[in-house]
Amino acid sequence: MKKTVDVSIPIGPVHPCWKEPIRIKCETAGERVRRAEVELGYMKKGIERIMRGRPWQEVMFLAERVCGICSVIHNMVFIEAMEAISGITVPPRAAYLRVIVNELDRIASHLIANFSYCYTIEHETLAMYLLNVREVVLDNLERITGSRINTAYMIPGGVRFDLSEEDAAALLADLATVEAEMRRYVKMFETGPLIGLRSRGIGILTQEAAIEAHAVGPTARASGIPECDQRLRHPTYRELGFAPVSRTEGDNFARVMVRFDEVFQSIGLIRACIDRLPDGPVRGGGDCGPGEIVYRGEAPRGELAYCIRSDEYGRILDISIRTPSIMNIEACSHYMVRDVTSLADVTSTFISADPCIACTER
Amino acid sequence: MSILQEIKNRVRSKSIHVTFVDVGSCNGCDIEVLACLAPRYDIEQYGIYVHNNPREADVLLVMGAITPQWTDKLRDLWDKIPEPKAAIAVGNCPISGCVFARRHMYIEPPVEKYIPIAAQVPGCPPRPTEILNAILSLAPTLFKDYEEKQR
Repeated sequence: MKKTVDVSIPIGPVHPCWKEPIRIKCETAGERVRRAEVELGYMKKGIERIMRGRPWQEVMFLAERVCGICSVIHNMVFIEAMEAISGITVPPRAAYLRVIVNELDRIASHLIANFSYCYTIEHETLAMYLLNVREVVLDNLERITGSRINTAYMIPGGVRFDLSEEDAAALLADLATVEAEMRRYVKMFETGPLIGLRSRGIGILTQEAAIEAHAVGPTARASGIPECDQRLRHPTYRELGFAPVSRTEGDNFARVMVRFDEVFQSIGLIRACIDRLPDGPVRGGGDCGPGEIVYRGEAPRGELAYCIRSDEYGRILDISIRTPSIMNIEACSHYMVRDVTSLADVTSTFISADPCIACTER
Repeated sequence: MSILQEIKNRVRSKSIHVTFVDVGSCNGCDIEVLACLAPRYDIEQYGIYVHNNPREADVLLVMGAITPQWTDKLRDLWDKIPEPKAAIAVGNCPISGCVFARRHMYIEPPVEKYIPIAAQVPGCPPRPTEILNAILSLAPTLFKDYEEKQR
């Protein structure tokens, strides 16, 4: 029998390239990767088990700590699911403020994803530029919500704080600087010859493979599936005339570029929100009641689904969360890194899918 | 104090190698440590170098409530770090378990049960400046006169 696999190489769980513990076992023939397997389980905290039987006031903060990078969307999806169960309506001003904060969080998340990618391919200059832009975005998040990471901004029936005129003006001014800087960095990324050599045509996920693997978020949109964006089904985004960005190449370069394009798209959405921001209250109030629902939202990494069952006091009887990264990690291990020509590309391909291990394992 | 010790004290306060390990956090503290690298906080101008090799490190940043997978592995990682060394717990999770320390939890906080912790930075997550402050105030005093004390 012909020998096809030479050696099985483990990468991780503590590895300079990733910030979170995960292990990839690569089966290689020479330098070529034949098969890869992802080993999870280093981060399991059992959040869903803690959540069961607790009132929504506690679960709200636990939901936010499922993932620290995209905490706002976890907050938003949980709160909107509770509102849908209990029939609470949100004042229009609060609905727009939710979109502003969510998009700011998305910009910060995409910037840190692209920072990780640039850091992995050893382009440290661009990585540091992106990290510095992210600080400006986080400043605005702090100015609006009062916190940098875990904001707890949304509550059933509205948001906690109103956006003042000065804060809106400062936000617009900061967005202008972010956009101007980002145009320069995206040009650096697009035209860099060495970045192109490390990114173009590597880790290809075709459209058929993306559908087969149920890829979500920017990973799927880079493979030519724009319909997967859950923001198309959100009422506030529909009012804003949201149209998703997509690319067809499906390689590392396309995935990073989709994230860059979405940063500009988010900036546009925030500007549109501030333009249309109606006057009125930001907190309506309401009681959380009994019911059962599956509610979906678009996290920075893809589709996020909460399946909730609550009782008449607003206690969470049963909850299960499906986070986007688990689909992308599987797509990555089964399709992207298969037949990658060099072992050095495994880490960069894996990082380009933007895996978030904390929310995968919860 | 010998002249050699004086040189070592001076050098050690200006070059601190930091490694970080995530033992089950929500990523919030991780990205605040990463934000320290950003030119705004610029951790490297204080002579702190962040990388992920425990064999070269002086300071270990521990983030996250301890998950069962890490209870034995964290000790191994700690043993790999050469003397003199110090561990800093970043965030509420390694101190108390934060929101995850409830009934039915899988985690086993605090982290002090497994490795000696020299300093704790509370916060969920702490600001990058606080993490920077903790490293800068702890490392020079802890590593001062290390060889003299060993004798």
